[in-house]
Amino acid sequence: MAHGYHGKILHVNLTAGEFAVEEPGEDFYRKYLGGSALALYYLLKDMPPGADPLEPENILVLALSVVTGASISGQSRLTAAAKSPLTGAIGDSQGGGFFPAELKNAGFDAVVVKGKSPKPVYLWIHDGEYELRDAAHIWGSITGVAEQTIREELGDKKIEVMQIGPAGENAVRFAGIFSNSNRANGRTGMGAVMGSKNLKAVAVRGKIRPSIADKTRLSTLAKWGAANLSDSDIAGLAKYGTNETTGANQNSGTLPTYNYNSGVFDGWEKIDGPTMYDTVLKGAAEGKQDREGRDTCYACTVRCKRVVEIQEGPYKVDPTYGGPEYETTSTFGSYCAIDDLAAICKANEICNQYGMDTISCGATISWAYEAFNEGKLTPEDTDGLDLSWGNAESMVKLTEKIARREGFGDLLAEGSERAAKSIGRGTEAYLITFKGQEAPAHMPRVKRSLAVIYAVNPFGADHQSHEHDPVIEDDFEYYEERLGALGFNARVETHALNREKMRFTVATQRLYSAMDSLNLCQFVYGSTWQLYGPDDIVELVQAVTGWEDFSYADIEKVGERRINMMRMFNAREGFDRRQDLIPEKLFKPLKGGASDGWKLDKDEVEGALDTYFELSGWDVKSGIPTPEKLEELGLAWIVK
Amino acid sequence: MVNITITPEDQNRKEKILEIHLQLFSILRDKLPPELKGQTKIQLVEGSTLKDLLIELAIDRRVAISVNDVQERDHSRTLADGDEVKIFTSVSGG
Ligand code: SF4
Repeated sequence: MAHGYHGKILHVNLTAGEFAVEEPGEDFYRKYLGGSALALYYLLKDMPPGADPLEPENILVLALSVVTGASISGQSRLTAAAKSPLTGAIGDSQGGGFFPAELKNAGFDAVVVKGKSPKPVYLWIHDGEYELRDAAHIWGSITGVAEQTIREELGDKKIEVMQIGPAGENAVRFAGIFSNSNRANGRTGMGAVMGSKNLKAVAVRGKIRPSIADKTRLSTLAKWGAANLSDSDIAGLAKYGTNETTGANQNSGTLPTYNYNSGVFDGWEKIDGPTMYDTVLKGAAEGKQDREGRDTCYACTVRCKRVVEIQEGPYKVDPTYGGPEYETTSTFGSYCAIDDLAAICKANEICNQYGMDTISCGATISWAYEAFNEGKLTPEDTDGLDLSWGNAESMVKLTEKIARREGFGDLLAEGSERAAKSIGRGTEAYLITFKGQEAPAHMPRVKRSLAVIYAVNPFGADHQSHEHDPVIEDDFEYYEERLGALGFNARVETHALNREKMRFTVATQRLYSAMDSLNLCQFVYGSTWQLYGPDDIVELVQAVTGWEDFSYADIEKVGERRINMMRMFNAREGFDRRQDLIPEKLFKPLKGGASDGWKLDKDEVEGALDTYFELSGWDVKSGIPTPEKLEELGLAWIVK
Repeated sequence: MVNITITPEDQNRKEKILEIHLQLFSILRDKLPPELKGQTKIQLVEGSTLKDLLIELAIDRRVAISVNDVQERDHSRTLADGDEVKIFTSVSGG
């Protein structure tokens, strides 16, 4: 008997309006665990190579894992995967909230969406039943309105809704999929894929909870986490959100500023976590922000999500749409040299209402700011907007124009790389894109293994695909025990990009890859500083599923399997090492602060890439998995 | 909450007293009374290092530090009178 999961995958053919329920056996779940690896299985098996990402042949998979919905912190997350309209490579995006656990309770482990509906629809899944319903009346609605309308018409306030906003309908190439109107599967344009299928939303509700193999073990683990939170490294994250990290990044010169030309920002204290906590979080004026200004994901004791409410001034912000993460205060803030916190919160609200990734949106705007400040764009290009560094008003206006694809916003809605190609005038020099996806706010010129991961990651620049360098450099002494268990017994020289650093990169990449298949939150679970370490993940899977022989070797294997599947997806689309590129800007020195003068070195990076491919067991020249590697991972079927 | 004034144990000793301007960020702010918003002046005996300061503040986890607005990764650094020390906590994701 299966524990933790249903063993049921819902297949939806939107073109024909038909459904099928597949019931793969335990072997399938042990091999892929769920989430991203499970999604990759269907994308590789059922999608023809060369599919247009915005045409019906693209497949969108929404997938949970074998532990989603269990009563413990950090498990209510979901993978959205499809071919990306932003990169043309694999698209993969992780997000949390309450929807994932509720989808599990509604009776399914994943939903595989194919084809295109002749008219706008939403999918309603409840207690093992499913139907497509007309969505003409909510097409064009912002997320908060559509969510409320669906709950009202289905007569249940507890329904969870995952949806696209108008940006997804408008095929903004970095449109995301949103639940709760504030939780994003933001990256790689999955919302544009959903929009191209005329699928406005998925609504879920149910009471079919899968059994837990050992409830006592699970509850012991959950209670241990709750009891140790306040004394853990994530205590600050809990209280001040991901934005607590702004100060530390400023200190180490890793806060991307002026579109990644500097790692320090004079206005950083105006946009950091403590300032948000003291000023814009809901309830801050009455000192009630811990209760009213923080939100959580299902069963998570951490409560790191921000809820912003601004009632006065030029930028009023509705708490329905949550609050900005560190990534968002950086891309709309320091990237553009903007220190107006209210304006940043407004841009975040617009992204959550219209359904756009705040990283790509903010970074695309910062590309335009640099081009404007270097005289390559003029007000004639920008619909009269003044894009001088620090201009908050133009940033907010531009965010809305992108969502609506209006004027200059229509060009930026294509993403910065396509926009630069279209404009020309040397503006390609200002790009910070990897495979066409804009870089998040973690600095590869200092945390240098990020350069390799941003380059090789199959879905473009991503900061949550391995553990960052400091834990095995300056902070090694704090994590000796967990790192020792992973096979790392000595610190690596700060800023090194040597073989040991690459071994660390590959090992933690496999762990984080498996966590994207187990759909675990990377603040709660991880290699080192997180609340739970690698051993605890094994304990979690054993307690929930009853797989007593499940071990860390299985986690490594699934993680490696998923990375190989993504590389193979990309290989079918014509990608190989030649696309594992680093933008030219990162080979130029940073200016100011602790990272002044830091840059990447081409030869050193190429050497690190060689080592990375070798350690991955791939062909070093092409960067493509070898047939032997695929055989070893049980993936020979991909090339047959 | 820690005792923020670190007095030399033996007042008869001849060590000079240093005054350090301290600024604590994020969750470390909670070590001081809320109205201080993480900022205070503290006294240390001459020869004290960043490591000594961390011990006095009961900070035994990974932190990022700057002295006089310059990042300092070496916790054995000896402090000087009037130094401005900023201490941050940090996670990597977001
Ligand atoms: S740590 Fe934050 S993001 Fe992660 S599950 Fe908990 S509330 Fe959600």
